[in-house]
Amino acid sequence: MSELLQLPPLTRIGHGTHGKRCLTGLPATQVDVDPSKLALVFYCLGTLDVLDQLDKTRIDEKERWREWIWDQQASGPYGTGFKPSSYMTPEKQSTDAEYSDDNTPAIIVTYTALLSLAILRDDFARLDRPGLLKFLRACQKDDGSFSSEPLGGDSDLRMVYCAFAISSMLDDWSGMDVDRALEFIASCRSYEGGYGQTPFGEAIGGTTYCALASIHLAGKGSSLSAAERQKTIRWLVQNQQEPSGGFRGRTSKDPDACYCFWCGASLSILGDGDLVNESALASFLGSCQFKFGGIAKAPGEHPDPYHTYLSLAALALHPPGEGTQGTSTSWKLHPLDPLLNAKRETANWARLYIPGHKS
Amino acid sequence: MAIEEEQSILFAERPEWADVTPLAQYENINPVAPIFYTNEYKDAADYFRGIVNAGEMSPRVLELTEKIIRMNPAHYSAWQYRYKTLMALKSPLDVELHLMDEIAVKYLKTYQVWHHRRLIVTQTRNPGPELAFIAKSLQADTKNYHTWSYRQWILAYFNDDELWDAELPFVEEMLENDLRNNSAWHHRFFVVFQAGVRKGDEDRDEVIRRELGFVKQSISVAPNNASAWNYLRGILDHNGTPYSDLQTFVNPYSVPHTLEETAEGVVDLENPLPSKESHLPAVAAIEFMADIYEKEGGDSLMKATELWKSLANEHDTIRKKYWEYRIREACQKVTT
Repeated sequence: MSELLQLPPLTRIGHGTHGKRCLTGLPATQVDVDPSKLALVFYCLGTLDVLDQLDKTRIDEKERWREWIWDQQASGPYGTGFKPSSYMTPEKQSTDAEYSDDNTPAIIVTYTALLSLAILRDDFARLDRPGLLKFLRACQKDDGSFSSEPLGGDSDLRMVYCAFAISSMLDDWSGMDVDRALEFIASCRSYEGGYGQTPFGEAIGGTTYCALASIHLAGKGSSLSAAERQKTIRWLVQNQQEPSGGFRGRTSKDPDACYCFWCGASLSILGDGDLVNESALASFLGSCQFKFGGIAKAPGEHPDPYHTYLSLAALALHPPGEGTQGTSTSWKLHPLDPLLNAKRETANWARLYIPGHKS
Repeated sequence: MAIEEEQSILFAERPEWADVTPLAQYENINPVAPIFYTNEYKDAADYFRGIVNAGEMSPRVLELTEKIIRMNPAHYSAWQYRYKTLMALKSPLDVELHLMDEIAVKYLKTYQVWHHRRLIVTQTRNPGPELAFIAKSLQADTKNYHTWSYRQWILAYFNDDELWDAELPFVEEMLENDLRNNSAWHHRFFVVFQAGVRKGDEDRDEVIRRELGFVKQSISVAPNNASAWNYLRGILDHNGTPYSDLQTFVNPYSVPHTLEETAEGVVDLENPLPSKESHLPAVAAIEFMADIYEKEGGDSLMKATELWKSLANEHDTIRKKYWEYRIREACQKVTT
């Protein structure tokens, strides 16, 4: 089947334009983006990064993005992190002021802020590292998980992953109790071989990625038994659905572009990324492309920055092979770091500059 | 109708809000991804920042936060401040839950909706009505992740015998409606194997027999249902039962329909045969048989390899590389 597969071109310019357009402004219907806007900014910048379109972006524009991201860094009684946006900040308030209990930084967007700044090749001179470690400590709960904000909010594997990624980028694990966090991760494992979002939850691709990436960021990959590893690989591989070629997030569900990354990258982390059927994957993602740019979760749906970036990230990890007909150069992307979820050069930059100069 | 009209009047135009100083949103000189808010939203958000800044916690805050939540259910701060206000006012929480019944079903996919509900129920400590509410909202979306998670949380957090009593019939009803609902299968595993041993289920061998009977029956109706096969593997792995115990049951599913199965013979209730109209061989059954042969080792390894090859080249070609990997792994184990 793969030998005969005909791929459409990857419409790179359209996808880049989709990202840039969203950075320029969003319609009123997307008001729900406000409490996680810095995550959307990361997906847009990540899209431009993997497509190699940032060099062509004007320097002053990149400068403005950088300034806006730094503007979200805030310090206060629970340490320093990034706010999702200024949606709760009053107009005349100085951004240097301490944050209030009703407008605290959040852990997920702190992770995306660091990666976004690395994409923009910031030198991280303004990063409050001790404050960031204090913030992580304030978010960790007794069961080892992390809450989305220091004063509450959901706590599940998504936030746990962000804490691991931040600690790894800082090259400093003093902001968290790693063993306890690993115990929490283990308690989310399901009989299917994947991980649920919380203990007792159904196995799902996104948080399976979060679990595996966290374990490996902490250098604890060997803590999974051979049988567990086999079971996880089996479940991940089974999620590649026929005939679409896309991955689903849960057993018996429909495929969705984002799970091509979450499941595919999970396999890469386990060292078995080559088990993905790349041609089938590319064929599915090719069909999710929107004719005016951007990639949607499924064919015929509307695109968004989240699915656009994750689709491209999946393709960077699992490029269609030479057996695929019509694989023009349009499908070639730079290699990706599956653990941090960023272009490898960007991940290297983050690891070089985020720790700062240690004495 | 009258209430809706009143609600569409901006807060800035309502005399009873005149004492609040609205606070516009801070924006960097060059905002990234600015949202072009509607006037109605901007007005409510300005008044909300004003209220928060003043630290006011009064009944009208509940009205304001509800207004914001209905326009933006993902507004984390509105939910958080609403909860603080409910606590400060000692508001009747059953009223709040009643309102949330409607809002939750409307915004099933929003994290905040469920988080708020957890906080409230942790206070009321009355989980009973929640299970009925969840059953109702699952009708709107039978695989909604948040809804199922919430059900698992209610059961595990309150861990009340009465709550658990009706869970198995509930799961069975969900599976009767859709045999491929993996969330329901998962829930069944959670109830039977993960949530401790409850009255009536002390005989674990009997529980395993019951579950094996249930899943076999389900596979006989729909042999290509991955959820049921995963459940079967889950039971065996969890209890350390060897896969070979299931060989008699699985084998007929791993080959094309045979004459034997259509013959009018003695019906083996322990090992129901595939339904006549089902598509065979089932990939999951071939895989299962290969697992049995691999475990046996020795000469059986050849049989396992043949089955994997048939999956790679004929029955499950999308996973060709995976089945070839299984062959490599098995051979490596033998040589090392």
